[in-house]
Amino acid sequence: MLSPSVLLYIAFVAMPLVAAITLSFFKWDLLTAPQFAGLANFVELATDGTTFRAIGNTFLFAIATVIFHMVGGLLLAIALNRPLNRLLRKVLSAAIFFPVLMSWAAVSLIWRYALDPNFGFVNYYLKQLGLTPPNWFADASSAMPSLIGIDVWHSLGYTMVILLAGLQSIPPTLYEAARLDGAGPVRQFWSVTVPLLSPTLLFASIISFVGAFQIFDPMFIITKGGPDNSTLSVVQDVYYSAFRDFDMGYASAKSLIIVAVILIVTMLQLRLSKRWVNYDK
Amino acid sequence: MSATERVLRRRRSSIQGSRLARYAVTIVLAVIAILMFLPIYWLIVTSITEPEHAFSLPPEWFPLHITSASYASSFDLIPFAVQIMNSIEVTTIVVIGQLLTSSLAAYAFARLKFRGRDGLFTVFLVALMVPLQVTVIPIFILMRTLGLLDTQVSLWLPVLLSVFGIFFLRQHFLSLPDELEDAAKIDGAGHWRILFQILLPLSGPILAALAIFSALVTWNDFFWPNIMITSPDKMTVPVGLVFLQAGLSGAPAVVVFAAIATVTIPLLVLFLIAQESIMRGIALAGVSR
Repeated sequence: MLSPSVLLYIAFVAMPLVAAITLSFFKWDLLTAPQFAGLANFVELATDGTTFRAIGNTFLFAIATVIFHMVGGLLLAIALNRPLNRLLRKVLSAAIFFPVLMSWAAVSLIWRYALDPNFGFVNYYLKQLGLTPPNWFADASSAMPSLIGIDVWHSLGYTMVILLAGLQSIPPTLYEAARLDGAGPVRQFWSVTVPLLSPTLLFASIISFVGAFQIFDPMFIITKGGPDNSTLSVVQDVYYSAFRDFDMGYASAKSLIIVAVILIVTMLQLRLSKRWVNYDK
Repeated sequence: MSATERVLRRRRSSIQGSRLARYAVTIVLAVIAILMFLPIYWLIVTSITEPEHAFSLPPEWFPLHITSASYASSFDLIPFAVQIMNSIEVTTIVVIGQLLTSSLAAYAFARLKFRGRDGLFTVFLVALMVPLQVTVIPIFILMRTLGLLDTQVSLWLPVLLSVFGIFFLRQHFLSLPDELEDAAKIDGAGHWRILFQILLPLSGPILAALAIFSALVTWNDFFWPNIMITSPDKMTVPVGLVFLQAGLSGAPAVVVFAAIATVTIPLLVLFLIAQESIMRGIALAGVSR
């Protein structure tokens, strides 16, 4: 019963992982024979300004989106968890959640046009309000914030739904007890909601971070990593090395950065969840 | 005014105040919901507006010049119908394949007793930390060697294993009491019958959550097919959309919008019909990850 999974695991997880590590010690352009290069790829990596830029960009993207997702998702989840008309709740949550179901490809193309300086409707209304719209994807200073904003639009509903499920698992008797003790809404939030939701919050921020660290589509489709490498992501950097420059060894070495970051974050998660997260229910 | 009256009045005004605050929160929520949906509404309205009016400013929020011409153009410019079929095929194969391999493996990890079982399970869990973005280069080379590049096999074979699915189902099987199977075992039922006739029928919501999650990921994936596929008639929808916009210099924005709307409108209808189960499935799969 295990054999299909074991075979698939060997073929598409274990062997490729070993191969990626092995390849990182070689130079190979897929046309000529691979050549052993020792640590050359890693030496190159240590001095590659573009890759460092990509790592910085990706951390910025991941940290910013996690913060917006957690704060925004929590506020929305709390607002939707109040007594509300059923139909109203259904319509509101549908509108906020629906973008989650759309592909990044569709989302990127829609926003590319929505933020177009000539025919996008966003600039038109900003100007109507007397504001000067930024150059969105055209300026190195505003391109990454624009992508972060699009990610929040696309994925906020996902965090909201997870946190909403977390909120609904908090027993209402705890709020009643807090009210009887004279706790107001703010006190209830900090003394009941936050501690009981902390496992869900930690977990949601970790998956949000790990997902965001692997971001590729919007950068590839909208900005091509530019302007001036200001939106180049790590996965995109790996992609260009492998499938544009056909430098398979160097690309493999770079891709190990992703494993390292995920490994560190997972370790951190285990540590943190032991230290401060309240699992008592 | 007596002291009691003052207290009463203050309490009354604070109740009114909190009711006002509640309405204010609902209004803010409604504004956010409208703003979130606005780009999708704009997409759909633009896609059915005559090209010369499509991007007029301010936008024609109520379409007056309706046409289906952009839809026809999108199907003319790229083999979009074929691409939609490709996406449906690949998604179906991946969902069914993942449910099958995950169920079998989860049963083995939850119910069979063999040496090294827990060690092997830990080895499997390591895969959760190795994303496709890392294994893509060796798998690309493997597919190239096998002559499978630019085929549908290269899209579904490497993702037929879902370690998350195994983990998720195993947890669920462990929560089901062993006694359920004891009677069946006495009757001589084998593992396959126990799995398919006892455990899986009790796993409906879990299987549904897994299916929704895996269908969503596969249907929307751009990274993998963008690397494996080069021929337009082998592409899946997300790659086709980007190809329509960038690969052929010249597809007008309205045509791209029509193509996006072609896949977004059915998704929206499906979502409105099954909103509860889709959101519950996503939350369930999300929370247990």
